[in-house]
Amino acid sequence: MEEKLLEVQEVSKSFGEQQVIDKLSFRVKGGETFGLLGPNGAGKTTMMRMIMNIIRPDSGAILYNGEERRKIKGLHFGYLPEERGLYPRATVLEMLVYFGTLNNMARRKAEVEAIRYLDRLGMVEFTDSRVNQLSKGMQQKVQFVAAFLHDPDVLILDEPFAGLDPINQVVLQEILTEYKKKKRILIISTHQMEQAEKMCDHICLINQARVILDGRLSDLKKKYRENAYLIESDSPMDYLHEMKGIKILEEKNNAYKFAITDRSMTITSFFGLIKGKVKIRKFEIVEPSLHDIFIKMVQKESAGA
Amino acid sequence: MKNLFRIARWEFVTRFRSRSFMFNTIVSPLLFTTVIMLPLLFFEHQPEQSTKLVGIIDLSGENIARDLQKELNRYYRLNNTSPEYMVLNVSVNNSEPYQEKLGEFREIQARRDSINQLYNQIKQQRTRYYQNTKLPNRTYLLQSSYKKLQQVREEKELVDIELSRFRTALDSVYKFEAQKMADSLIVSGVLNSYLIFDTDFKETGIIHYNSNNPGDFLDTARLEKILQAIIIKKRILGDNVERSKAAHWLRPIKLKKFRVQGGVQREWDFYIQFYGPLIGVFLLFMAIFTASGYIFSSVLMEKNNRVIEVLLSYATSQQLMGGKILGLGLLGLVQIFIWIVITLALAGANIIPVQKIDYLTINNALYFMLYFSLGFLFYGAIFITVGSVSANEYDAQQINQLLRTVAIFPALLSLMVLTEPNSLLIRILSYIPFLTPSFMIMRIPLSTTPITEDIYITTLIMFASIAVLMYLSGRIFRVATLMQGKKPTWSEIMRWVRAG
Repeated sequence: MEEKLLEVQEVSKSFGEQQVIDKLSFRVKGGETFGLLGPNGAGKTTMMRMIMNIIRPDSGAILYNGEERRKIKGLHFGYLPEERGLYPRATVLEMLVYFGTLNNMARRKAEVEAIRYLDRLGMVEFTDSRVNQLSKGMQQKVQFVAAFLHDPDVLILDEPFAGLDPINQVVLQEILTEYKKKKRILIISTHQMEQAEKMCDHICLINQARVILDGRLSDLKKKYRENAYLIESDSPMDYLHEMKGIKILEEKNNAYKFAITDRSMTITSFFGLIKGKVKIRKFEIVEPSLHDIFIKMVQKESAGA
Repeated sequence: MKNLFRIARWEFVTRFRSRSFMFNTIVSPLLFTTVIMLPLLFFEHQPEQSTKLVGIIDLSGENIARDLQKELNRYYRLNNTSPEYMVLNVSVNNSEPYQEKLGEFREIQARRDSINQLYNQIKQQRTRYYQNTKLPNRTYLLQSSYKKLQQVREEKELVDIELSRFRTALDSVYKFEAQKMADSLIVSGVLNSYLIFDTDFKETGIIHYNSNNPGDFLDTARLEKILQAIIIKKRILGDNVERSKAAHWLRPIKLKKFRVQGGVQREWDFYIQFYGPLIGVFLLFMAIFTASGYIFSSVLMEKNNRVIEVLLSYATSQQLMGGKILGLGLLGLVQIFIWIVITLALAGANIIPVQKIDYLTINNALYFMLYFSLGFLFYGAIFITVGSVSANEYDAQQINQLLRTVAIFPALLSLMVLTEPNSLLIRILSYIPFLTPSFMIMRIPLSTTPITEDIYITTLIMFASIAVLMYLSGRIFRVATLMQGKKPTWSEIMRWVRAG
């Protein structure tokens, strides 16, 4: 299967005096979940609109498999904007079929796919209901269906999990996992760092119109690791406080988070020092959460500015 | 390109099935036409109406009731059989106040009669004294009888004055009592109206008309016409003109109106000529504003609930705009087509007198479609722009109302157009794109000469205006629809136009 690649190269956009995107570059590979993160006003929505070709960049290029994005015809996009809207008086099915046909689906095919997805999301009995008769949660599910009904080449979801109950979050994750397997472009923008951490393989953090962090999530976690470890035992380990070469960072219920301060100390030598003193229940390398990295980077950037 | 048709289909189908389309296509024109036509129908046809009673208070003693009844019978009959008007003398000869006054009057009259008698006796006596020259004391008798005669004459004059005063008072009482009775008859619904003929009505020509509804033009116009003839006849006969001659002179005149167009003469009917084009303007207005109103609400809704963002990611802004214009324009044409079918059906059932309405032609139907299309594209382009730049529905609706008021303004000048459809003022106003469709749709059927030149000029002006507006709205639409919560400034709009 040919690998898909979406490239954003040195893209800039300003509205009047305000620079919204400043020479932004990143690459999204097919088959990976790309998280576009950033605080409010960072330029995420503008960037997504440019990828969708709703607005055009002032400079730079957006390429899909090496071809200029706006010149490619027949490329299908699925888009779930953060502020979602539907046609209130239309029925669920006729509206989904409309969106499907706008993406070159045959009417019959659109109908079948719409009913299939509605069934999967547990709302097949609402197929002929008017949109304004649905609850907010159900309307959101209809919007999801509208975004991936036509099996898009590029799927962009802005805050996809906001307002969804846990059961439907799981269903959505399943659908996205299936989509990922097709090796297509998937971009998620969210404020929910836990969700991003669960879903994304690649993170791009934007702040004040620029990229401040870009890379695979695992690499980033490694990069921002604090050289800290967590050890948990069945009895108190007070002697750790006196141990040379380590520093206790946090302590709670016989669990200790510590950093190795002496370069000559290794994990093996540390285990040698505590051997036979306690029964160890858990030992792990502490990785920074995405939330921590996000806060840290944004604060650092803001301080630098 | 396919998406343009898909969007057009969506806009067409969703609006076609909406209740508002049904309302604007059937209910609203029906209501408007009914509101216009009902009074006319009542005015023109009153077949189920019963005979109207007209009371007469005749103080002139001319026996006007008989003449009036005769003339009314001659012209106005219900279903050509029973008379439409019955004339009734309101008589109060037996009323108590009148009888009382009449008693007093008769007493004075008796006194005057006895004085007259005395006066005549004295006069005869004096004649005898005068003729009998041998009468002893003749001179004395003549002198004393003369004094007596003078006394009686003075007394007679005084009684005459009193009598005349009483006659006036008696007339007043009669009039007052008769009016009181006639009023009660009107209130109780027996009489429709009553007329008061004063003693001098022939000279002054003034007759009082009393009714619950003096604004009933039909009755008052008829009575005026008939009474005019009766009074003039009485005046003529008063001058000793032969009766047959007077009747000949007074034979009524009727102005039959014809319209000359293209060498063909057709009878001219005010209602058909005036109300027809007015209904036409209303229908055109309805068609233009139903369709362009849908464009407006569609843009506004998609912008407000952010569907626009999804749509713009699937289709270009040009496809979106074009699809809306095409779909809703077609919807407007379908609406007109429905009206044409209804008109044909009504004509087939003889409800609309087609033979009398010379402007119901295929040509004019095509002109109607032409000016609808031009008006729709013109206002549609404006509404797309207004809808896309409006920060909220309230602002947008205000502009919508303003545009509707401007577009219907020509209907207010419909009487001017009827009188002179090709006057300079009306022609100039027709060249203003906002007013062109409404004015032209009135002028085409009303003008006695073809206005082909103005049709070309206005079409060109409309095409040019539409081209400019579409260019501007296309540039504004793409950027403005994505803005939210903030009303753009004029300088921003100008920047979008320049930047494209």
